[in-house]
Amino acid sequence: MNEIFSLRPFLDSKWTHGAIPLVLLVGLLLIIEIAAPGFLTAETTALLFANTAVLFILATGVTFAILLGGIDLSIQAVASLASVILAQLLPSLGLAAFPVAILSGLAFGILSGIVHVKLRVPSFVATLATGGVVTGIALWVSDGRAITIEEAGRENTAWINATVAGVPVVVLISAVIGIVSFLALRYTRFGRQAIAVGAGEPAAWAAGINVDRTKIVAFAASGMLAAIAGVVLAARLSSGSPVLANQLLLPAIAAVIVGGTAITGGLGGVARTAVGALIISIVRIGMTFVGINIFLENMVFGAVLIAAVAITIDRSKIAVIK
Amino acid sequence: MGSGFLTIDTEPLKSVSDIERTTLMTLFPGRIAALFGGRRWRSLAPLAVLIALCVLISIANPNFIELRNLVRVANSAAVPLTLAMGLTFIILMGSIDLSVEGTLSVAAMVVVLLAANDSNGNDYGWLAVLAAIAAGTAMGLVSGLAQTVLRIPSFMATLGMWFIGLGLSVYMLGGSAIRLNDASIRELALARLLGLPLAVWVAAGAFLLAAIIQYYTKLGRHILAIGGDEDVAKLSGVNVTRVRIAAFALAGFFFGIAGVLAAAQLGQSHAVIGDGRLFAAVTAVVVGGTALTGGEGGVVNTLIGVLIVTVLANGMILLGISPYIQQTVQGLMIIAAVALSLDRVRLRIVK
Repeated sequence: MNEIFSLRPFLDSKWTHGAIPLVLLVGLLLIIEIAAPGFLTAETTALLFANTAVLFILATGVTFAILLGGIDLSIQAVASLASVILAQLLPSLGLAAFPVAILSGLAFGILSGIVHVKLRVPSFVATLATGGVVTGIALWVSDGRAITIEEAGRENTAWINATVAGVPVVVLISAVIGIVSFLALRYTRFGRQAIAVGAGEPAAWAAGINVDRTKIVAFAASGMLAAIAGVVLAARLSSGSPVLANQLLLPAIAAVIVGGTAITGGLGGVARTAVGALIISIVRIGMTFVGINIFLENMVFGAVLIAAVAITIDRSKIAVIK
Repeated sequence: MGSGFLTIDTEPLKSVSDIERTTLMTLFPGRIAALFGGRRWRSLAPLAVLIALCVLISIANPNFIELRNLVRVANSAAVPLTLAMGLTFIILMGSIDLSVEGTLSVAAMVVVLLAANDSNGNDYGWLAVLAAIAAGTAMGLVSGLAQTVLRIPSFMATLGMWFIGLGLSVYMLGGSAIRLNDASIRELALARLLGLPLAVWVAAGAFLLAAIIQYYTKLGRHILAIGGDEDVAKLSGVNVTRVRIAAFALAGFFFGIAGVLAAAQLGQSHAVIGDGRLFAAVTAVVVGGTALTGGEGGVVNTLIGVLIVTVLANGMILLGISPYIQQTVQGLMIIAAVALSLDRVRLRIVK
């Protein structure tokens, strides 16, 4: 119990960090409400959540990597590969295609973690490299084409696009993932150790934490959640493609950072990522609403990312900014 | 080869001084090793890999050493080489530039939209090329400013710039492919000098320029000094902020040239003109033996690295291996090269 208490003041002192994004989110909702009264009905809210689901699942995965002070640049590749695997295997395996696709993400997440930890390669290069490996495999498996999920396969993906009591299943999936990840980070030994490693790796190591194992588990989680996001995306679009999720890497990382998780690690969590993902989603809808060209979205997100990193980064933790 | 001039005296920057190195230096291989900015026999490994690769591919398919195929290899190495020249300086500093694809597509967009094209009435000829290179340099300048003024790690600053550049170029192109109709710019890819396309000569020029900057200018030495140990460099009076901004601008300059070459080679610019180029450039730099920790390696290493990547890609096509698997192979090469080259003594914590 002692370790919980020693971390608490540290988190409490930074609570403002977590509050700012929330204020921003409420502000954005107010702006929408004022600009278009009656826009926020139960229906549009459900739609908003449904459209945020994939982004949130991806962002939750990368939250694990960022909390450790690392980064995962392979999530879009892993998600795309999972979509290809699902689309390829649905006709022959049926529902069993889902676990295969998701386990592929787990495998490549573990691979990223091992390369990063055992070969001592910085995580952004390790994941850039595994991302390339995964993209190559996805291109090879799919012959560089998008694979449509045919009528027969769609029977098995229909449940993802269904609603339960008015709530879209994708929202339920992301809620379950969010809650499990939240609990895992807050109440399990792994979660505590992950935050400790992110807060100060030498101290965590000196305290006897198995830093290597913690990191591998975090990257495995990131890979698996990326694959789940890819599967959900494939089911929603009824198609798998080696470039399906390419546009989601930046919004996913931006969601984590905008939510208030610092890239220096040790500060933040899944709840913040949920807020960040909603902000990104609303900004995206807002841009379409205001009439900003869809091609300019990337520019806005790029600028938002740089600004958010500059605000949330804990500079006392890096001696030399490289 | 005048290796005495090309040898960089990084010794004062390193805390390790090994006698083994000085004995090696007196031997001929040691001199070649010195040219590659390395201290041990290990630094000759990339060259050995390149030669072995060429021999193996030639045995498997003799078409490889046909002049026509070698010209093809040189031609497909032109853009990666120019890109990797810029990236080398950034990695030498111990930083990374992920904005390669964004900057390249901005430059390609600028040259296509300002020269004769099938979308608007502009026809500025070679002024468009200058504008494109200036645009690339400006992108690099912004990356450098974002990194130093906002004090954020370069991979985050340039990740943002990657998508800013991509968004800007796709927006300006209206999401479609626009053809480049300026005949004199197209000549870069089509005209030949001594049997090689002009683009290859431009890339060779970029290499020479990069070599001169690295070995003969203060900027080059300061970049190496920062990569070796930033604190020591600062204490020795190097204006770290200014050198960092200059290095990113320099990288943007090379990416700009590469963008022009890419547009000339394809005869058009489109949304995915940069796809896969970051990956190839990073692979080339690290496979050549430039350490991600900075301060070790250089543009000669990168030349070898680019040739390894290009020869391998060409060889895979000759051997009938699916081109789609290329990224997989490159990814594995990055992992292997980085794992072999990292100076682990200096790197207790890997993030």
